[in-house]
Amino acid sequence: MGNKQTIFTQEQLDAYQDCTFFTRKEILRLFHRYRDLAPQLVPLDYSDKPAVTLPYELIGSMPELKDNPFRQRIAEVFSEHGDGNMTLEDFLDMFSVLSEMAPRDLKAYYAFKIYDFNNDDYICKSDLEKTVNKLTRNELTPEEVSLVCEKVIYEADVDNDGKLSLADFQHMIVRAPDFL
Amino acid sequence: FCFLGGFDAEEDLVGSLASMSSNERVKAIQKMPKTMRQKREIRNKVLKEITKKSRHRGAQCTQGVAVSFQRFGNTLSECFQQLQPWHKTLKIIGAEFGTSVLSYFVFLKWLLNLNIFSFLINFGFITIPQFLAAEPNNLSFTGLELLTGAGYFQQTVLYYGFYTNATISKVENGPSYNMQLAYIFTVGIYFVISFLILLFSMARFFSRNFVKLTKAFSVNASKLLCTWDFNITNEKAVKLQQKNLLTQIKEDLTEVNKEVLNFSVKERVGRIATHLLAWVVSLATAVAASTGVYFLSINNLELFMKGYSNDLQRQTAMLVLPVIVSLLNTLIPFFFSWLGHLEKFQTPGQHIYVTIIRNTILKMSIVGILCYYWLNIVATSESQCWETLVGQDIYRLVLVDFIFCLLGSFFGEFLRRIIGTTVCVSLGLPEFDIGRNVLDLIYAQTVTWIGILFSPLLPGIQMIAFLIVFFVKKVSLMRNCQPPRKVWRTAQMTTSFIFLLFCPSFLGVLSVIGVTVWRLKPSEECGPFRGLPSMYASVDEWIQILESYTVSKWVVWIYHNLISSELFFFIISTVVLIVIYLYWQIIQARKTMTKLLRNQILN
Repeated sequence: MGNKQTIFTQEQLDAYQDCTFFTRKEILRLFHRYRDLAPQLVPLDYSDKPAVTLPYELIGSMPELKDNPFRQRIAEVFSEHGDGNMTLEDFLDMFSVLSEMAPRDLKAYYAFKIYDFNNDDYICKSDLEKTVNKLTRNELTPEEVSLVCEKVIYEADVDNDGKLSLADFQHMIVRAPDFL
Repeated sequence: FCFLGGFDAEEDLVGSLASMSSNERVKAIQKMPKTMRQKREIRNKVLKEITKKSRHRGAQCTQGVAVSFQRFGNTLSECFQQLQPWHKTLKIIGAEFGTSVLSYFVFLKWLLNLNIFSFLINFGFITIPQFLAAEPNNLSFTGLELLTGAGYFQQTVLYYGFYTNATISKVENGPSYNMQLAYIFTVGIYFVISFLILLFSMARFFSRNFVKLTKAFSVNASKLLCTWDFNITNEKAVKLQQKNLLTQIKEDLTEVNKEVLNFSVKERVGRIATHLLAWVVSLATAVAASTGVYFLSINNLELFMKGYSNDLQRQTAMLVLPVIVSLLNTLIPFFFSWLGHLEKFQTPGQHIYVTIIRNTILKMSIVGILCYYWLNIVATSESQCWETLVGQDIYRLVLVDFIFCLLGSFFGEFLRRIIGTTVCVSLGLPEFDIGRNVLDLIYAQTVTWIGILFSPLLPGIQMIAFLIVFFVKKVSLMRNCQPPRKVWRTAQMTTSFIFLLFCPSFLGVLSVIGVTVWRLKPSEECGPFRGLPSMYASVDEWIQILESYTVSKWVVWIYHNLISSELFFFIISTVVLIVIYLYWQIIQARKTMTKLLRNQILN
């Protein structure tokens, strides 16, 4: 249980353990997963904080994300510049929030950002339409999609401004025990 | 101005974080919805602040100690996580089949832990002391005993009858161990602890999931945005989930048009009549099954009391009752689900609930009639050691139920898959039937709980059975089943199952144990309570002995005035009712407040 690894300094590992929900072993395992995506780009020594970014195509090909209909939005939300290309810290952040140890309101906050396609801090009707299409593989007609979105806004919009804010979304999550 | 305002907010945040204990601080930082870089900056600022403060007070070394202590705590929690078995297996099941199937395996693991705990308690406090005062066993061992539990096992620690009623002491005038008190207190304290565990689990589930049951508010919105199972990583399962959601949305949209259509009076009467008829048929089936079991068991007892013809014949005849009970428990649920298909329910959720309620009524009535038979007929028969007889019956029941569970998995999943892929391809792969399997688990656990008093090592046997069931079900699931196609509200269902485990199952067991301990006369010649008028009389005797010592007068006082006085329980019940009424009024007031606030937001 000593410092047998040479990838991170002890201070870095302590910081990662404090800022994510992972243990030391899990952080090292995640680092190796990150590195396996592109071994030639990622160095084995992170103590001097290299600025390495992996492109979205590699992240999106991971088996955990490859079948998720929202993988592109997830990568965009957690990446530094919103383009889907992730550094190691973004990577650790993403898996920390998606893990089972993260509390529900943290997940709700990020879920809101994932569903907010145009990044304006509100889920408007066009965001909802894109969500519905992703969830049903584009198999509903546009009229049906529109009808569903109107119903959702009608039900969940508490302050009556025609779009869902973070507060509306969190209000809905509290009443939905199946939210994972 | 904004820059200054933001700076102040961050200063406040750093200040408040620095004043927390290190555990709380780590948790608070983990929960912040910021990027890793921002969190690390804040963390560095907080650490600098703490060093500044400690330099003021000159306590620098304590910070170093705190850091190394935290690192030690981290490694300790890592080791503890390693000890959790099946963590990886459960993750794989959740990824391939979704959270609904995962909930069955989590429930099984929880019951397994409960049984391990009960086995350790019984083994430690009752069986090990008994080994020191064991009588020799003269009976021969043939292989059939493993199945019937009789014969050689009758004179072992497996059953109540073997335990001595003496006070065991290894050394003359040394510390002694009163077996009577040990037996009754171990069983009693185990049930109290289980009661508390079940109560807290149920309360936790209710508090999380009950909010949904109050109103059908925002059903569509939550269905769209909150029910996507992000755990699933299997492509086929994802496609199935999408298709599921599509079907649900389409149904909802067509229902919008159907809502206008009201059922005519004639149709409504017809529907109610169908439902009533189905309920009458199911209740009649349950009653018929119970009566059949009752007469069969009376017959069994007569056969046991008189026929000593052939040992092998007698032993196999004893297996008839458990096999019939397990057959009834396996076949009648299929009949119930067929009945449910005939009645047209308005939502599939109603169908699932009604089927579960009917199955529970069936299983609980069978268990109930068996308890009645054991406590009223076997206990008053002229057999030598009725508790051991009951223990043997329960052992056989548990074992045959376990065998039927494995057979059910074999036929229901393995053969069905072969039929579905080769002979009759339209059927497809089978699905894992969560409801039926969970009810089987609850039934097995109920029988084990009843048997603890009569056969202290039964939880150990059930523990091994659950382990084997876990592996068999997991392998069968991975090889034979496909991800579920129907909607299954996991959180609601898990709450209902824990409630079922508590309410008919555990409370029923408590009442059975209560009747046994307080009312029934233990047998004269065997067991730790031989010769006493009831099992509880041993506690009375002990209190009388304690009265003669002045040191323990307070125990006697507590016993006479708190535990066995009715006035005390009356006062406690009144206080509890008053507290419940006050909380209810507070909830009503909060509801009015929520309504007022919501109106304020709207305007």
